[in-house]
Amino acid sequence: MRLLILALLFPLLAHAEPATVIRATELKSAPATDASTVAQLAENAAVEALERQGGWTRVKAAEGEGWVKLLALRYGGPGSAKKGDTGIAQIFNVARTGSSGTQVTTGVRGLDEEKLANAQPNPAELEKLNHFAVQPAAAAGFAAKGKLSAHEVEYPK
Amino acid sequence: MNRLVWLIALLIGAPAQAQFKLPDLNINKLIDTAKGVVKATREIDENEEIAIGSDVAARLLGAAPLMNDLRVQRYVNNVGRWLATQSERPDLPWHFGVMDAPQLNAFAVPGGTIFITRGLLEKMHSEAELAGVLSHDLKAIQKGALAHLSAGAAGAALSNVNSEARNKLVAFGTEMYSRGLDKGDEFEADRLGVVIAARGGYDTYGLPAVLQSLQGMNAKDSAVALMFKTHPAPGERLDTLAAKMQPVLDSYSSQPQLRERFAMETKAAR
Repeated sequence: MRLLILALLFPLLAHAEPATVIRATELKSAPATDASTVAQLAENAAVEALERQGGWTRVKAAEGEGWVKLLALRYGGPGSAKKGDTGIAQIFNVARTGSSGTQVTTGVRGLDEEKLANAQPNPAELEKLNHFAVQPAAAAGFAAKGKLSAHEVEYPK
Repeated sequence: MNRLVWLIALLIGAPAQAQFKLPDLNINKLIDTAKGVVKATREIDENEEIAIGSDVAARLLGAAPLMNDLRVQRYVNNVGRWLATQSERPDLPWHFGVMDAPQLNAFAVPGGTIFITRGLLEKMHSEAELAGVLSHDLKAIQKGALAHLSAGAAGAALSNVNSEARNKLVAFGTEMYSRGLDKGDEFEADRLGVVIAARGGYDTYGLPAVLQSLQGMNAKDSAVALMFKTHPAPGERLDTLAAKMQPVLDSYSSQPQLRERFAMETKAAR
């Protein structure tokens, strides 16, 4: 049972990120404009972003938990240490995925400017790419399985 | 209309190209030839676009190969092909590929090919986020924002320049991905991409959510260095979307995100 609870909590914890509200914002009890207001958050208030639902993000603020508009949030709180580089993130990546792929020893291998400049055609990979393609009918079936329905939406003027 | 954009893109793109020197190749002369041909025909054949795009795709794959996982590749093709069906060019031979690279990036190749990196896929949380990114790149291809990459090469091919010169132009086109495109084109692809995602039935906040994740990363991190150099800052892209797209974003925000399917199908990438 405890394991199950941990498993349920984990995705939320994994996505918790320090964030800042970029303007004075109402902290709502639910992801809707007409939901009751938990608290008023001041501009630049630091929060912890937890999960997203549509245009809303659930956050933990000093005043309590609730929902704020996604577009009112920017990640990386003021003064909060941002993720450093020095290649450590990359090495971590390799360790975590267990697949070294093209990056083997250092953090800077892979797809960078130098690679792009010196790239030679790889026809074998191009053939694989062609092989992975799907036909429209198959894609429509895939969409239906996900309960995605197409509809007309005009481009903004 | 699309052809006209191509021509304009070529003419605007030419000065930037002229500053770039490749050994053993007179780029200026080739560009002039290409311009002459394009001006004369007023049109670039779609087949030519596809052929050149395929050459550029082969080069990009020389820089980073595909992830060797049928499931994740098919999945991204399904999402991409479904979105392409909602676009103005549903009949292009659309191809989507996940490149095996830890860096975060995506590439729109003329002719209907879109690559995203494993690093970017790893950063996403749902199919709606994937759809947001693919829709941005779909629109980049349709608006001809990338046309200047291939227009010179297409013109050269049309005028029977030898294949070695054409290869060099394709290499040059590939290298242009290190330079980036016009900022305005990127903002426009964001806006129109949101519409494509909405048409496909996805939660429209997918692209903003990805931009927000990117915005939280350190621009000096080598994983995002190239993407940040070639795109407007994610915060600026979010501000622009907020200013112009709030009504569309909010009208379709309760459409499916498909978090579980995404997690299941992209397991190999994380």
